[in-house]
Amino acid sequence: MDLNSLLDHTVDGLTKGSIYALVALGYTLVYGVLKLINFAHSEVFMVGIWSVLGVYTALGITGASGFGALAVALVLGSVAAVLASAGTALAIERIAYRPLRKKNAPALIYLITSIGCSLVLVETFGFVLRQFFGPPFGRALVSIPTVISYDTLFTIGDVKISNIQVIIIVSALVMMIALDQFVNRSRLGRGVRAVAQDPDTAALMGVNKDRIIMLVFVLGGAMAGVAALLHTLRFGAAKFDIGFLIGVKAFTAAVLGGIGNLRGALVGGLLLGVAETFSSSLISSNWEDVTAFVVLIIILMFRPTGLLGESLGKARA
Amino acid sequence: MRRNTRLGLGAAAISIALAVSACGTTDDGDDDKAGGGGGGDCSGTIGLMGALSGSNASVVTPSRDGAKLAVKQFLAENEDCDITLTEFDTEGDPAKATPLANQIATNEDFIGIIGGAFSGETRAMKPIFQEAGVVMISQSATATDLTQVDQVDVFHRVVGYDDVQGAAIANYLEGSGATKVFVVDDSTTYGEPLATKVKSDLGDLVVDSDKTQEGQTDFAAVVSKIESAAPDAVFYAGYAAEAGPFLKQLRDAGVEAEFVGGDGLYGSDFPTAAGPNSEGAVVTCPCLPADQAEGNFAEDFEAEYGTAPGAYAAEGYDAANIFLQGFKEGNNTREKMLDWVNNYTGSGITKDYEFDENGDVALDKVVIWAYEIKDGALTPKEELSAE
Repeated sequence: MDLNSLLDHTVDGLTKGSIYALVALGYTLVYGVLKLINFAHSEVFMVGIWSVLGVYTALGITGASGFGALAVALVLGSVAAVLASAGTALAIERIAYRPLRKKNAPALIYLITSIGCSLVLVETFGFVLRQFFGPPFGRALVSIPTVISYDTLFTIGDVKISNIQVIIIVSALVMMIALDQFVNRSRLGRGVRAVAQDPDTAALMGVNKDRIIMLVFVLGGAMAGVAALLHTLRFGAAKFDIGFLIGVKAFTAAVLGGIGNLRGALVGGLLLGVAETFSSSLISSNWEDVTAFVVLIIILMFRPTGLLGESLGKARA
Repeated sequence: MRRNTRLGLGAAAISIALAVSACGTTDDGDDDKAGGGGGGDCSGTIGLMGALSGSNASVVTPSRDGAKLAVKQFLAENEDCDITLTEFDTEGDPAKATPLANQIATNEDFIGIIGGAFSGETRAMKPIFQEAGVVMISQSATATDLTQVDQVDVFHRVVGYDDVQGAAIANYLEGSGATKVFVVDDSTTYGEPLATKVKSDLGDLVVDSDKTQEGQTDFAAVVSKIESAAPDAVFYAGYAAEAGPFLKQLRDAGVEAEFVGGDGLYGSDFPTAAGPNSEGAVVTCPCLPADQAEGNFAEDFEAEYGTAPGAYAAEGYDAANIFLQGFKEGNNTREKMLDWVNNYTGSGITKDYEFDENGDVALDKVVIWAYEIKDGALTPKEELSAE
């Protein structure tokens, strides 16, 4: 493989991995604080995508709309996606997980509940909403208008870097750095780390445990909302089960980087994206998923705590 | 104490709910049974099996509508006949088709089947219906092996098969002046053989190939392979559900190569999912454009359903009519109907029918057409030849 395709595939992989990393943040945050694997997070992502479609439809956006309209649509779409995803995550926490916390349910019950929530949301968009509203809900794939048309931004050697790729990678990095700084520098962030380390002691220290947990879900949801918007920029499609595979890959990325570790989610996501892209070009596109999971198994065999290992709750300087 | 009472109430509630739901019917079959067969000589039930819901439904629902139209017109003219057409939604999935096929095979009311619509599910159904002696006429299952390799007595189809379609596609690509063709298939038992046939006919013109999977939505890897191969044309053998996003991502990435797809893409969902940049994409189909069909089929269809006929609508009409004429001649048992279909000669609205010993129509009667996306809809472009 020559240098050009190497660079090309790396950029492609980073683009794909950025979306995985953003969604992985949701998994890793919730796990770090609650020791719970939130399987419903993939549906939080899915709701974000549908809300973007909703905004575009409400504004009457098609691919041929004027530049101003598209810009407005993009901004409103991002806001809608973040709000919808954060709202869904919060709703799941209040409705599904909080009652379990109040009853000190064993971990297995949380797991089953999260899978149940995931199924409920998937079927809501795939079946229930169709009964009330008809199309576009349902099992078929729905097209989302292209708001940013493809354009080569610059070239490195022979490799064309497109505007969409740059937007995705830069946005994802910015969001992740923002989140990282928030968790490590701000007062609320300190609360998050405290609850992750020891919830009861944190409560003794004056941290409102319930509020922090809600915050964690909202943050994870917001990241998923941004990921949803970036995903629609790249793929322009909404489907009732679109969250499933992204969710599984993102969870894999979170584990790969060290579950409970924010920077691990970033590293894991990017690494997974690059690994997938390389394998699909070296072998064949349908080997993509296999490679993703083989990579996970190999890393876990040699480093069971994931690449970056440490968790959210460990005391760091 | 309280917990036990609550548990008891909860258990009672759950068991009541389960009992109630078990009494309800399954929603697998859309039963329009209006009394079913039983009366005089001209009576019976035929089933129609195919993907009536889901992402590939738009490839199948036109032929279902064509068949329904045929039944309606027939019953209007032959009032003493009592024929019912019952639909079964397989979602195009062999796993869902198999229990439905068993259900039909064991129900003596069913004299024949229009279907399966897709090759994978047809392959699964064939042995079940062969054993029960239920005659099948498929309106759109085009995989070559269904009649050329695994021949069974009950299976017939009113369309040409993929060896012919593949040859026609290769001719079209060569004729369009393409010097580099990239072939993609979806790894299914329909797409893969079609792609193999096209690749072998194109020979050196194939610059590279790749595979996708059913249910795939992210085609970045294939697209990037296509970008580096820089072909003049891309051929996709698969279904509309994947082809839509695939073409969209291809065009979004700036690939201008001509896009050609097989008959699995011929559904009204395909242009919508592929987006506005899909103009000019070509889909081939061993089906006749509805306005070329004999008689007033296109107008009648539009009057009945409010939309123009889509993929295989006229072929579905023809398949139904073969059964209906059989019923009119008094063939109301499975053996008699099988005999009738095996020996059938007659004219449908798309072609003349006489099934050969494998269940195929005569090769010189097969039509292959190319359709292109114009203004967001598939319109007939030109007739193709397999020679």
